[in-house]
Amino acid sequence: MAFYADKDYTQDQEVLNAMQEVMQGHLTLHWYDANTERIKGKPADYRRGLTYRDLDVGSYGYTDLPEDLRRHQSMVARGSEKWGKLPDMGYLVNRKSEVWSDNVADLYEEDKSRRWAPAVDVPWTGADAPSPEVEAACAQLYTFLQECALVSLDFPSRWVSLVNQEFLEVKSFMCAQMLDWARLLEAFRKRALMGGQGLKRASATAEQGLKEWLWAETYPQGSLSINLSLAGFLLAVFRQVAAFAPRKADRALMGFAMQDAGRQVAYGLGALRYLLSHRPAQKVAIEEYLDQTEHVMVALFGSPELLEPMIVICGGGLESAQIGAGRIATAKFIRLVVREYMERLEAAGLSGRRTRSRIPAVVDRIATS
Amino acid sequence: MSYLSTTNFLDDKSFADKWLYTMRTGELDLSWMNARTEKINPSPQNARRGLTYRDLDLGTYGFSDVPEKVRENRSYAPRGAEIPPGLPDAQPEVSRKSELWAFNTEGYYEEAVTRQWNATTDIPWERLEGAELPEAIGKALSQLMTFLTEVEMIATDTPAKWLPRLNPEFIEVRAFIASQAMDEARHAEVFRKRALTTGWGLMKASPMNEMALKHLRDADSFSEMSVALHLVAEGNVLTMFRFSEYLSPTDVDKKIFRLVMQDEARHVGYGMQHFKWVLENFPEKREILHKHLDEAENISFAAGAATELTESFIVLAGGGLKPENIEKGIRITTQFQLKQMEEHFERLDKCGMPERKGERSKLWMMYQMGKAAAEQAGLKI
Repeated sequence: MAFYADKDYTQDQEVLNAMQEVMQGHLTLHWYDANTERIKGKPADYRRGLTYRDLDVGSYGYTDLPEDLRRHQSMVARGSEKWGKLPDMGYLVNRKSEVWSDNVADLYEEDKSRRWAPAVDVPWTGADAPSPEVEAACAQLYTFLQECALVSLDFPSRWVSLVNQEFLEVKSFMCAQMLDWARLLEAFRKRALMGGQGLKRASATAEQGLKEWLWAETYPQGSLSINLSLAGFLLAVFRQVAAFAPRKADRALMGFAMQDAGRQVAYGLGALRYLLSHRPAQKVAIEEYLDQTEHVMVALFGSPELLEPMIVICGGGLESAQIGAGRIATAKFIRLVVREYMERLEAAGLSGRRTRSRIPAVVDRIATS
Repeated sequence: MSYLSTTNFLDDKSFADKWLYTMRTGELDLSWMNARTEKINPSPQNARRGLTYRDLDLGTYGFSDVPEKVRENRSYAPRGAEIPPGLPDAQPEVSRKSELWAFNTEGYYEEAVTRQWNATTDIPWERLEGAELPEAIGKALSQLMTFLTEVEMIATDTPAKWLPRLNPEFIEVRAFIASQAMDEARHAEVFRKRALTTGWGLMKASPMNEMALKHLRDADSFSEMSVALHLVAEGNVLTMFRFSEYLSPTDVDKKIFRLVMQDEARHVGYGMQHFKWVLENFPEKREILHKHLDEAENISFAAGAATELTESFIVLAGGGLKPENIEKGIRITTQFQLKQMEEHFERLDKCGMPERKGERSKLWMMYQMGKAAAEQAGLKI
């Protein structure tokens, strides 16, 4: 399956002759008057620096990108002059509506400005260790979160090389997502291990569901599942843990995690909205996709590897009263996850999902005393 | 080609009933509390450095003891977790340590995370306000930046393509690849931004380089990809960045190249360490690595042969288009190109492949010819 360059350049006489000409002073300067637009970009606000938005100008910008990219299959940078024999890079995502979100350039800029380093930005040492049972629950929860992080890391990785180079801002955001999830994977792992309980058990139910989302057939489907559904779910988990967190390390970590997941949700929602507003006929396919795959949401919050540690953490222990309090808090969390999920889908243009989805009926059956 | 989980959880009555029962009664199973996993007590070895992956290199959680062949875990279970029945197969294609391991991978990742800089705000763009470069210099700089922004995304796409195919047990390698993807996106960004601030915009694409670099993207194995990308291509680019800093017409450009160099050095470091790991631990792969290099060095030569790149260097190095500028530019560019090749072979030598400096390598033969011609012309290499 390997690709070999069309020439052995060290042996090609035409290439060698051309090199020799140049090195003898006979420059071709064929590039000197390139047929490209001349601009002198500058920041609109020097305090903010030079952003991609500042360069959204003319042939270099992203606003005027067409819906269908039919003649751009190489690595040529958007706006530069194409010439000669260019390779086909095999991009499979060539429609703007499949990847675009109007906020993607801004989200990429925000991601860069909000970088953090788990090794030093989380207070790993401290004398605020919870009880062994709560710490064990934390270890289990963070084991579960590592699984989610591995899947979230894989999604942009699977697709970025298949997305057309013209969608530079989207690809850049996907790279930022990769580092976000590598960093969260690192932080979750460190937190799971710092408490002395070791990791706990992987979740077969969650992983089965996550794989179904990750291996979606198309990028829009996968983005809906990973960037909107999963990231939205995780955002709620992070918020919940931050609220009930036993350690300072948890509160700090979850603060960072929330800001990273929040960006991802913003992109996921924006991408779905863009798709549905530009290709309303896709609504039918998306609804069918959700009918087929929404059950994974149940797999996630029904997994004992998430549910039980959440109850223990929220209640603060294993005493009967603590479990009772934990159940109430967890039930509220689950209802919130579903409500926010439906609100996001509605905001993206899927009105009526609440009545079509089977999830609300299942969640409504949660009854706590 | 999508995957369907083993059950539809909305239709799985026993799953839903158990979940609802737990929520109603609070009767917890808690079997996860007694997971058959190792208990460790990691702590930061150096408080100023914080808690690092190296601090977690303990027992079953560590990377040192990951075996050559990962047989037990093909799921998304994090290394060291209890593996229950029913986990899906993540379909990894690389489950051999020798295919991807490198000494200090975790160190490169940790450094990458702490050294993320921002092309938007960490470059003093305001210093370009009112700064006008002579036409020849401005256009040559734009052409160089056009080439650099063009090729940087291959360095993102290529390793990212492999990331989900690596067994999830290799957490540190996956993390490093993710950091590289972000580094390269940032490089594509900063070079694009600089080209678009010159007043000339982007210039011409580089077909020869694109043709050569596609090989990276379509490599047959992770190891082949790493040799071609990290060791050869990025090694050449590291020298190129150093040269570009030297040629930089403004202090803004110098800063750009200093920052991209520190990222590139990490990538080359990984490539060298991986190459060294394979040679030291699997000497029978030496000939395979030679074959990878045979093609990778072709890519390397293409960069020097692409006239839109070489000529832009000549103009920048010589300071213009007059005959005396061109003559000076050619001398300096020749020295750079030879230095680039020399450093490539030095890296291979340091990694344990000194025999690459020989007739086996067509690039070595070109280097020898070029060096002889340069010395004859009185150039000091």
